[in-house]
Amino acid sequence: MIDRLRRILRVARWETARAGGGVDRRTLLAALALLLVAGGVLGGGLAAGVVGLDVDRDVYRVAVDGDSPYADAVEEAPALTRVPVDGALLGDTADLVVFDGERGGAVETVAVRASDTRKGEAAAAEFREAVEAHNERLMAVEENRTAAFPITVTLQYIGRTSGLEEGSTLGGDDGGSGDSSGDAGGDSFGGGGDGDGSDDSGGDGSGLSEDDTADGDSEGDDGGFAVPSVGGAAFGADTVGSPGSISPPFPFVSLLLAFVFLVPMNFLIQAYGSSVLDERTNRRGEPLLVTPLSPVDIVAGKTLPYVALAAVVTTLIAVAVGGGALSVIAVLPVALTFLAATFVGAMFARSFKELTFVTVGVSVLLTTYAFVPAIFTNVTPVALVSPLTLVVFDLQGEAVSVGEVLFSTGPMTIGAALLFGLGLGVYREEDMFTQKPVGRKFLDALAVRLSAVGGPNWGGRSLRARLRALAPVAFLTACTIPFVFVAELLAVALLFALPVTVSIPVLLVTIAFIEELAKSIHLYAGFERGAFARTDRVAVAVGTASAVGFFLAEKATAVVQAVGLTELYVGRAAFGSVAGLEGLPPIAVAGLFVAPLLLHGFATTVAAVGASRSRTYYVLTLALATLIHAAYNFGVVRVYA
Amino acid sequence: MRNRDSRLTIAGRELSGLRAEKTILLAIAIQLFIAAFSSFLVVGLVSMYDPGSLGGAEVEVAGAGDAVSDLERAANEVGGASVTRYEDAGAARLAFDRNAADAVVVANRNDDGGISATVTAPDATVETTVIVVQLRDLLRTYERQERADRAASLSESPLPLPERTGTSPYFTFTYTVLIPVLVFLPVFISGSLVVDSITEEIDEGTFELLLVAPVTLGEIVDGKALAAVAIAPGQALLWLLLLRVNGTPVANVPSILVLMTALTTLVVALAIAISALAPDRRAAQFLYSIGVLVLFGGATAMAGGPANAVARLAIDSGDATTTALVVAYVGIAAVAYVGVRTLVAENGFEK
Repeated sequence: MIDRLRRILRVARWETARAGGGVDRRTLLAALALLLVAGGVLGGGLAAGVVGLDVDRDVYRVAVDGDSPYADAVEEAPALTRVPVDGALLGDTADLVVFDGERGGAVETVAVRASDTRKGEAAAAEFREAVEAHNERLMAVEENRTAAFPITVTLQYIGRTSGLEEGSTLGGDDGGSGDSSGDAGGDSFGGGGDGDGSDDSGGDGSGLSEDDTADGDSEGDDGGFAVPSVGGAAFGADTVGSPGSISPPFPFVSLLLAFVFLVPMNFLIQAYGSSVLDERTNRRGEPLLVTPLSPVDIVAGKTLPYVALAAVVTTLIAVAVGGGALSVIAVLPVALTFLAATFVGAMFARSFKELTFVTVGVSVLLTTYAFVPAIFTNVTPVALVSPLTLVVFDLQGEAVSVGEVLFSTGPMTIGAALLFGLGLGVYREEDMFTQKPVGRKFLDALAVRLSAVGGPNWGGRSLRARLRALAPVAFLTACTIPFVFVAELLAVALLFALPVTVSIPVLLVTIAFIEELAKSIHLYAGFERGAFARTDRVAVAVGTASAVGFFLAEKATAVVQAVGLTELYVGRAAFGSVAGLEGLPPIAVAGLFVAPLLLHGFATTVAAVGASRSRTYYVLTLALATLIHAAYNFGVVRVYA
Repeated sequence: MRNRDSRLTIAGRELSGLRAEKTILLAIAIQLFIAAFSSFLVVGLVSMYDPGSLGGAEVEVAGAGDAVSDLERAANEVGGASVTRYEDAGAARLAFDRNAADAVVVANRNDDGGISATVTAPDATVETTVIVVQLRDLLRTYERQERADRAASLSESPLPLPERTGTSPYFTFTYTVLIPVLVFLPVFISGSLVVDSITEEIDEGTFELLLVAPVTLGEIVDGKALAAVAIAPGQALLWLLLLRVNGTPVANVPSILVLMTALTTLVVALAIAISALAPDRRAAQFLYSIGVLVLFGGATAMAGGPANAVARLAIDSGDATTTALVVAYVGIAAVAYVGVRTLVAENGFEK
């Protein structure tokens, strides 16, 4: 073990020396010079007042008289530009015309005419805001303070003392908006309230299914997965000021600071990806491969300096922005995942061009995956799927339970480990230095992990040996669970904005496809790479094994229920087979519990039989399996609806 | 004639490499993902901040205190909130605790003629943001009415506001953020491609093979730049057409494409210069990332930056200034490219 550590450290030292030479002093100086120039220009511009991050500068044209008091309001709003009233043609040279009813030196009324387009409406709304801002400025210089700001507001946030539901009035918007996020948000809140209520009264009376018990348990154990109690500190202390100074609770600054942690990752993975791909061009990595070092040692050694660098940079940022150890702990899994995904990309890519796209793809995907949930930090516990949420909590100075930390960082760490495992599968001579398409490398990487099923000697083996050969199939399927979860989460998020009538069917099919693909792609790899004999019996055997692996892993995690994702309407459709079983007779519940296993088994076997034939058959049977799965999911949703 | 052919041959070679690796599909997928996700984000955030934009949400406020009747007057004018009067602060708070009200406002007159309002909002729920936004609306209306009553003591009375109109904040976002982002993503990708293409050929030694062929260094640079610039406008056009199908009309498409092609040329020139100067690919990509960040960060922050120019063109608010800007960018790009090409053709890629 110590020996191994020493070997890894030796590779790490070698990598550090090489990478240090890669970005030499001249390059760093050039980069520094560029940044300095940019900083100077920006600073100078700020001083001269020509700089402002107004992307919406002058997008709406407002026609108003030069001597009207409204002209000032328009001039001061960045998004508005003033055009003369004479010759202004609504919809052509102006989007809005302002008529002020001036009488005796004071403006008493104002009327606007907007062009009859969405742009006109937007311009009118922008103009109204501009006038409001103008009024605030006027009042700010008034001498009579009570007349200018007659109202002083003290805003305080208080938790309700009892959990009684008496028809919260906001719930009424469920029916009203009906389609998008507002609805889902309302639902999720209502669900949280319900859960609390039933906890208090000790169950809601109906026969609890196994799933429900599991749900209750996981929430009860650490309590963190229920709506985390965000104390008043989250929104700052009580605020006092004029009504205009009220700002809704939104952890904007913390969020921005959390984003700072992600920025260095992009540079880090660029260097790391180049280093890995460098090994693969011109067979440079061959000498290292023929040494007694195992691929694991080499990769661990090569990765170590970058992990260390990430840790150092993260710590520096944490110190700079006022974060604590929690921030570092939360960001490290993110860094690991960035590196792991880049490693896989660099192992699969055929050229630097391809690597660049892979790196950009990794950055975009992981940045959104880490950042977007964190936006909803104070809103819903689902936000905890991203470790950045922990950073936001940390920056807000809030206590986080161990359970929450584990929940937030665990999946990403496991995901990173699995990705490294996938890439390591092709860290061998025959894959590293060949130009295979990404898809084929991927199949190689999967097939490496499988053992032979079927074939000449199969008949003579004991049942135990056969099962042992099938175990990797089930294990590999189980390993896909985190990725399936992420993919489904992304699908839910992306389809969130669509109307429910469209999003639910699309979502059901997408989810079914993701799951069927996860269960059968390695089977296809096994057949293609000769690990499995191409017979129907083998296909049924590996298909069943895969389904069992998926089923067990899904049940074991029960993550979906834990985060309360099933409370979202869309989420309920996605993960419908595990939620909301109360109110059904026990036999039906038992049936529904076993039904997913049967479904998984049947659908995967269908896909496996196709995979054992050829690629075309596999595509067709995969589509068929997806349809079967989607039809089942649709039935489940119907039952609960 | 021979010159043109060899340039086109090199450009074709670059493009066929892209086609073989299907990387362009990956690039488009990434862009689609960014577009979809930013839309999701904005719709989500907007619905949190401006529940009125989705319709239906109304905040029930429990009112108390001696100025509550004025608060009710303000609530009549605001669509998103209604005030129910309670006898005293305790009764209002009880209603809040029983979930009969979303928030409590206790408004009392002070001795100095002002009004102090104590607002209680629920802690830590998804509704808090929505409630506070609506409360702010209510209280600002209240403030405006109180100001009007005290107009005599003001040296300058506030301007009357125009009628409230319904609009979606998503509209401004689409034109000022989404469209510029979609238009500029292909620009960065093209520049990055050039850096990779040149440094990779140098690294693998195929660049020297190219130099043995009857082409000049300038022609090689031209060919590579041509391929990278050629693929950019098509991608941008794809996005603009997609937006149009989605019901977002984009004006001045030709001008936008000219502007983005000019910027692509500029960025490609930067990429060629960096590949010529940097010692290896890692350094080159690093410098390129920083350079692009600086270039676009700076250009966006300046008045008349390319992002703002695209936004104004797309929303059809362009004027003589935007046209002049497009012409200026074309000029800058041409000068930059010719300059870099001349330098590289003379000095070669010194390694």
